[in-house]
Amino acid sequence: MDKIDNQSSPADAARFDVRPMTLAVDRWMGRLIRFGGIGVVLAVFGMLAFLIFQIFPLFAGAKVQSVEPLLFPAGAVAFGEDEYGEVPFVCLADGTLHFQDSRTGAKVLQWSPNVAPRRVTAVRSYPRDGLVLLGLSDGAVQEVRVSYRLAYDASGTRRSEPVVNAAEPLTVGDGGAPCRDVWAAKNSGGRLFVVRQSLAGREHLTGLLLAERKGLGGKVRVTPGQPFPIAADTVDFEQVLVPTTADSLLLIRRDGEVRTYNEAGEGFAFLQSFRPFAGAADPRVTSAGLIFGNVSLVVTGAEGQQHVWSLYPQLQPDGMSLRRWGRIHEGSVLPGVGQGVYAAEGNKCYLALAGGKLRLHNMTTGSLRWEGEAGAQGFRQVAFGRNYDRLAALDDQGRLLRWKIEDHHPESSWATYFGKIWYEGASGPAYEWQSSAGSDEFEAKYSLVPLFYGTVKGTFYALLFALPIALTAAVYVSQFLRPQFRQVVKPGMEIMASLPSVVLGFLAGLWLAPLVDPCLISLLCALAALAPAAIFAGYAWSKLPQRVRRQVAPGMEFLWLVPFVAGCAWLAWQAGPFVEAACFTVKDVGTGLPIADFREWWRQTTGLSYDSRNSLVVGFVMGFAVIPIVFTIAEDALSNVPTSLVSGSLALGASRWQTVWSVVIPTAISGIVSAVMIGFGRAIGETMIVVMATGNTAVMEANPFSGMRTLSANIAVELPEAAIGHTHYRALFLGACCLFLLTFVINTLAEVLRQRLRERYKVV
Amino acid sequence: MALPDQDSATPRGEPWVWFSSLGLIVGLVMVLGLLGLVLMNGLSVFWAPPVPVVRLDDGTSLIGQLAQRRIRPGSPASAPRYERQYQVGLRELNGHSYVWVDESRVRAEEFPADILGLERMENGPAFVRPVRLTRADGRVVEAADPAFAEALAAEVAAGAGVRERLTEINRGRIGEVNAAMEQTRVDLRRAEDQKTPTEAIRRAMTALEARYATLGSEANQIKATGETSKLLAREAGGREVVVPMAQVVREWFPNRLGFADRLGLFFRRLGEFIFGEPREANTEGGLMPAIFGTLVMTVFMSLLVTPFGVIAAIYLREYAQQGSLLRIVRISVNNLAGVPSIVFGVFGLGFFVYVLGGSIDQLFFSDQLKYNNNTPVFGTGGLLWCSLTLALMTLPVVIVATEEALAAVPRGMREASLATGASKWQTIREILLPASAPGILTGVILAMARGAGEVAPLMLVGVVKLAPTLPLDGTAPFLHLDRKFMHLGFHVYDLGFQSPDSDAARPMVFATTLLLIVLVVCLNLGAITIRNRLRARYKTASF
Repeated sequence: MDKIDNQSSPADAARFDVRPMTLAVDRWMGRLIRFGGIGVVLAVFGMLAFLIFQIFPLFAGAKVQSVEPLLFPAGAVAFGEDEYGEVPFVCLADGTLHFQDSRTGAKVLQWSPNVAPRRVTAVRSYPRDGLVLLGLSDGAVQEVRVSYRLAYDASGTRRSEPVVNAAEPLTVGDGGAPCRDVWAAKNSGGRLFVVRQSLAGREHLTGLLLAERKGLGGKVRVTPGQPFPIAADTVDFEQVLVPTTADSLLLIRRDGEVRTYNEAGEGFAFLQSFRPFAGAADPRVTSAGLIFGNVSLVVTGAEGQQHVWSLYPQLQPDGMSLRRWGRIHEGSVLPGVGQGVYAAEGNKCYLALAGGKLRLHNMTTGSLRWEGEAGAQGFRQVAFGRNYDRLAALDDQGRLLRWKIEDHHPESSWATYFGKIWYEGASGPAYEWQSSAGSDEFEAKYSLVPLFYGTVKGTFYALLFALPIALTAAVYVSQFLRPQFRQVVKPGMEIMASLPSVVLGFLAGLWLAPLVDPCLISLLCALAALAPAAIFAGYAWSKLPQRVRRQVAPGMEFLWLVPFVAGCAWLAWQAGPFVEAACFTVKDVGTGLPIADFREWWRQTTGLSYDSRNSLVVGFVMGFAVIPIVFTIAEDALSNVPTSLVSGSLALGASRWQTVWSVVIPTAISGIVSAVMIGFGRAIGETMIVVMATGNTAVMEANPFSGMRTLSANIAVELPEAAIGHTHYRALFLGACCLFLLTFVINTLAEVLRQRLRERYKVV
Repeated sequence: MALPDQDSATPRGEPWVWFSSLGLIVGLVMVLGLLGLVLMNGLSVFWAPPVPVVRLDDGTSLIGQLAQRRIRPGSPASAPRYERQYQVGLRELNGHSYVWVDESRVRAEEFPADILGLERMENGPAFVRPVRLTRADGRVVEAADPAFAEALAAEVAAGAGVRERLTEINRGRIGEVNAAMEQTRVDLRRAEDQKTPTEAIRRAMTALEARYATLGSEANQIKATGETSKLLAREAGGREVVVPMAQVVREWFPNRLGFADRLGLFFRRLGEFIFGEPREANTEGGLMPAIFGTLVMTVFMSLLVTPFGVIAAIYLREYAQQGSLLRIVRISVNNLAGVPSIVFGVFGLGFFVYVLGGSIDQLFFSDQLKYNNNTPVFGTGGLLWCSLTLALMTLPVVIVATEEALAAVPRGMREASLATGASKWQTIREILLPASAPGILTGVILAMARGAGEVAPLMLVGVVKLAPTLPLDGTAPFLHLDRKFMHLGFHVYDLGFQSPDSDAARPMVFATTLLLIVLVVCLNLGAITIRNRLRARYKTASF
């Protein structure tokens, strides 16, 4: 220790003639040990730091950086770009395309449509598909395809060369009026074109379907259908939303009513009408946009409100559940009148423009990812890059404003992991963990709450089973058992602690679960009979005459108890079938005959599921892991109670149980609590038992006969498949971090309690 | 403790004393029951019981070894019906190895002496009645011939010899050629990429390919020599089956064996289990690679954890400034032992595998990455990362044990050493470490026991179901830190939980479980024994 320091001044060294080598070695070893020791301690803490560092990006917002805008001729109404944003183009009102190299600013190409004698009256660009639609003055639509070809110049640098192909104009609308707007969409059956025209002061929508059928040779045959009117019942709409999936259509009227239509046969049928801001002073819908996936609509109002409406199954008055539009979120208030909603590609984010500000929101969580200056009064068109890495907006002056987006976890927020979230398509907000599924449009759900629930549930059943056994055993072994037995029992319990959890899990899942299944009631009866049998035995024994009692040496009771308790348990086991017949008889679904089957009874009576790998089995087997730990620590605390206290109590005439109950246990209570907490910590982190002995479904029900999914099991099952750096990967790290902190805090509290106990013993 | 009351009054609370003893009884029953269960199920795997011909009520019959008996699922608990599972083998014929038979259907069980049990390389075991054996040299031995058993044994031994030679060629020599070809391919790609001459490499490749072809035909020749030996046999239904003797690992007549024979067979099977290679998707054969993998990993882990743990403990106990900061550090280190093992696995994957391993690959194996389809070397799970992860996990165990041992060294010894003029390091080296060595050893053994039984973190950082190579072998650099390996605990998980044929896997899981428990319990008993001796020594040494 430091108090005895080997101080040696040079004079001393000369006197005792220490070899310089010895001193040097001493110095060096001292440094080495210091370095190594501090290093090891730091490494241990570095682990926690690393885990936290891994989850940090989840809660960082988006980084959006403005890039130098590109200048195009004024009057541009639409734009498009290649996959890398290298050669963007704008489209003027007359249909002319101007291409510009974004790095050098050089003009690359200018292309004009050849539609004379008609004029171009409407333009729409779909940057993602490389498609520009031109609406002509006679109601026809011309499709212009923009593609990019890779070319290498003399120095070997790669550049994209635009190629423009215009198709023959298709007659869609009424020949007597110019197109005011055009849309294109695509579904499994073919491609849909929609034009908007004003005829005699009334708004008209006309559609045309190009049926596409794959021939035998893989060639696509295109057969144009007949133009058909769309939503003829509404003539005064202001805004039209045509999703690119062509399965629905939304019209927004000036008074704030949204009318929705669904694809039906050859046209569209009216589905539903709603007014998002019906209660507001100004009920107008100022802007609207469909979110990626086309089943959610973001609408903004005149007072800066932003609401999300989505298609989800709703219970109708007639008891049927049908997919209808309903409000699922109410977002934060925008800093002004909502002027535009622009959806991102590939995720559920959208950009809202209001009061000169741009706000990047996530639709599902409602989180604000980023806020910045718009830099323009209004936008003609806004488009995100395909990988959600870029953003470009065309303003009224022909400037193409550009931003770089860095947002790796757009779906992430505190609410994602700990809050109730109303996911698209769900009938209400819920805590859900569902990390993977087949389709692209599927939203991964990362709520840790069901996992916490499963963890607590498993821990609860484990402790329910383990604590009574461990604590009573600790009391008996420390206070009553003969010392020579204690020397055998304690190592025996330690052996139990060392049993690999994979072995316990295997036995629970593959041996115990099927075994318990048919005779659950018998087993429960036998377990329930144990305690009364033991208490009765003790009572009966204490009533016996003293000379009989002397035959049983103190500390040997348990040997006498074994046959009696075993007999009682056996009887209870035999009674099990009768109990089941008396209490749990139900009608068999298949045959209609009454059968005595608890499993069926449970299903029919409670409506809950019954799995053979259930919480009771897990709790029982986890007991093997928890009992020895709780036992060892509690036993230590109890047997370290100073003997003077025990002797004093006994000398005053208290019986041995009175001494234990009123003196020993109160003295050691903090040690016992600490033992329980450490057992709790062990049960929380148990992995293999839960993985193997439950169904691992992330359900939130207290049903003791169903399984669960715990934090630890979830990590073990999913982490090998999670892609590094992905939200899923980091969400699992978040789970690990929670586990770490949870157990660390519990164990620290337990340790503090134990230290307090030690001090108390010192005082006593 | 308390003496029974001397007066005749009933002592208060006596029922509760008895109640508290119940906890002990249940706890002990649980431990003993579990150990007994695993022991019985694990050992019975190697026991060869008599095999009956079971005649059923519909006139059919089967030959099979009784595997288990249970209450029929779905039968009411009030009137349970039992069913038996027989291992009938001959999967190539039946499509499965096990059948369930309702007990009420069994009419009779006979034990004819001529039933032959065969363990085979493929399609599971077989229980048949032999008809005749065609030996490798063309001689035919009828089953009724008294020399039949001897001839059969000779053919099985010959088949084993053939398999051994094949393994030597396939795994040994062809394996070497394969490794060389792999390297040459990388060299070739690099040469092509860097536009250096490829002639020599191509020539080497051609030579290797030629060698590969020669070895392949040699293997085929050896294989052909074994193929002439065949056994014709009948299954219970009378259908004839031909069993190539080259496929037979072991043969026995289950109804002819005496107790001593059965015991001998038991130990031979046990020996194969421990020293053999796995067969049939790990459900048959031995566990040598898993045992070896577990041992190598555990030993390597303890080599890593011991010096660091001991140095950290010496620092904390002897060098660090004692104070409240140190107390916090000490509590934190202690508490790390209670952090779930899976968290260490997560850290191991995130830091060791992806960050450290990824950087090592970038720095030293960039060629390998570039020219070998981005196959990571250290950037994926492996022995090194498993050992490091478990070393980190067991570090608190060693630190705590060492600190306790150091604290228990009587102060007098320390002072005496310093008083004689020894330096601090000399005192540590000559007095403290030797005196606390048993305590440190206890900690290390406990750490090893924990490491050997741990599965959850290993699943994340490099344990696999079936590893083609061992982590320690005769090719340089002998200890392959980057290799994935097999592990007993993971074997239990994989066989018990992921196996497609859970019936076939069941005996093997129990046997593996037994082995794992024996290993862990032995390590723990060792630690406990050392600790008890240590306590006894300090009792006399202090004061």
